[in-house]
Amino acid sequence: MTSTPHNPANTDILVVDDVVVRFETQEGPVIAVDHVSFGVRQGEFLSVIGPSGCGKSTLFNVIGGLIGHTSGVVSVGGETINSPHQSIGMVFREESTFPWRSVTDNVAFPLELIGMPKAQRIERARHFISLVGLDGFENRYPNELSGGMRQRVSLARTLASEPKILLMDEPFAALDEQTRLLLGDKVLQIQQQLKQTTLLITHNITEAVQMSDRILVMTYRPGKVKRIVDIDLPRPRTSEIVGSEAFGRYVAQIWADLREEASRGMRDEEEHALHHVSTT
Amino acid sequence: MADTSRVTPLPASVPVLSPVTLLRLVIILTVLAVWEFLSHSGWLYRDVVPSLLAIGRAMFDLLAHGEYYFNLAVTAGEVGAALAIGGSLGLVVGIVLGANRFLSKAFESYLYYLGPTPKIIFFPIMIMWFGVGPGSKIALGTLSCFFPVALSAAAGMRQIDKVLIRVGNSFRASTAQMVFKIYLPAMRHPIINGVRLGLGVALIGTLLAETKLSNKGIGFLIIQAYSIFDMPRMYAMLIVLFVLSIGANSVVGRLGGLDSIKRS
Repeated sequence: MTSTPHNPANTDILVVDDVVVRFETQEGPVIAVDHVSFGVRQGEFLSVIGPSGCGKSTLFNVIGGLIGHTSGVVSVGGETINSPHQSIGMVFREESTFPWRSVTDNVAFPLELIGMPKAQRIERARHFISLVGLDGFENRYPNELSGGMRQRVSLARTLASEPKILLMDEPFAALDEQTRLLLGDKVLQIQQQLKQTTLLITHNITEAVQMSDRILVMTYRPGKVKRIVDIDLPRPRTSEIVGSEAFGRYVAQIWADLREEASRGMRDEEEHALHHVSTT
Repeated sequence: MADTSRVTPLPASVPVLSPVTLLRLVIILTVLAVWEFLSHSGWLYRDVVPSLLAIGRAMFDLLAHGEYYFNLAVTAGEVGAALAIGGSLGLVVGIVLGANRFLSKAFESYLYYLGPTPKIIFFPIMIMWFGVGPGSKIALGTLSCFFPVALSAAAGMRQIDKVLIRVGNSFRASTAQMVFKIYLPAMRHPIINGVRLGLGVALIGTLLAETKLSNKGIGFLIIQAYSIFDMPRMYAMLIVLFVLSIGANSVVGRLGGLDSIKRS
């Protein structure tokens, strides 16, 4: 299957144009992201899906401005990104709440950084805590909450900074399946309510099809764009859509693309492991 | 509900004294009894082991006079100053070393070499630099507590969850905001531990310096009592000092404890 070229349109709020990321490792240079181009439209939910090792987390960090890229351009609203940009709000895969701050103070963190007066930022934080459904937990500390609740605190914290683009890296990866689906509903609901432009990095096909307007499938190393699939399912969506026939078709289609890449990745890793065993 | 009937309730009455407390009491009482026996036995030179009554009287005498409190304030001031100077220097150096791999490679081994060195060997130099007054005691205390605080801070800095730093960066926190809103709170446990160790060695350094050469402070009073062979007074001072340092340590420990209950 050949990858089709994707020319970013001018209406795209986030543009990733011919981005290459190369790392120098002890075993020589590794190309993590290979000439990747795509755009994210205003208000859309775009998922980037790919097997482990396809460079999707690298892409996440590059778009977030946390790591540099070798060549190409990432721009948001026409501004080139070389460091974290205020228009982009990141939600990380790892547990990232501040354990020494209450839920309110966690969510108010980005507002505190920009010097918003206390009363105002607490009011704003309350609004976003309520949005992610954590009313009544304002004064709790993260160690008193479940993993799913903590991830909602992280989401509320990022939303409180009112980013133009919400950038999430497998935010539900550490959660169990039921929590993941219900939290997915919550994210969908919020996204539709705020018309939040969202870029989700994931390896979960169900999650991607459930939430996205478009899905970008990446190849195994070096990470290239394999295909972009439009998900033409009615909105507003909930996790109930998972049972529908159309949903199943999309999942099958994307799995067909992904299986090829994932098995390539698996073979590669096996060979790698074998090589290491034989040399040591 | 059905299950509760099968669970036998724990005995409601808790013994007034736990076995551990009882054992501790027995040990203390035994030591006191042996002490008192020795003091009356006549086996040892008079006053080497003064009777408990004499020590009690000396302690009352000690605590009833202003002179003791003046010297206590001098020592407390010296230790406080040493902890403030050495602790903040240690914190800054520790954070810098913890944050910068190059500087840490270049300098951290010196901290490990100098850390366990008995700082009292530098006392003659401190006297030459800062005189026989409190200055040289503060200097020695500072030198003592710098190392544990710096080493804990450097280790604490490296233990910070990397994702929290990425969160700070993604929200475009300034360097000062990173330090005060992320690094320091994330390092609070190792820092409190370092300060606790630092307080201990600052106390040791300061008192040791006072007993060597000084004209005021608790160490000076102790060595003065010793030189005129006023043993009850000396023992009284040792006991008071012992209680005070336990108190100081538990205050610092409480700071850490409160924190961990609420925000682990």
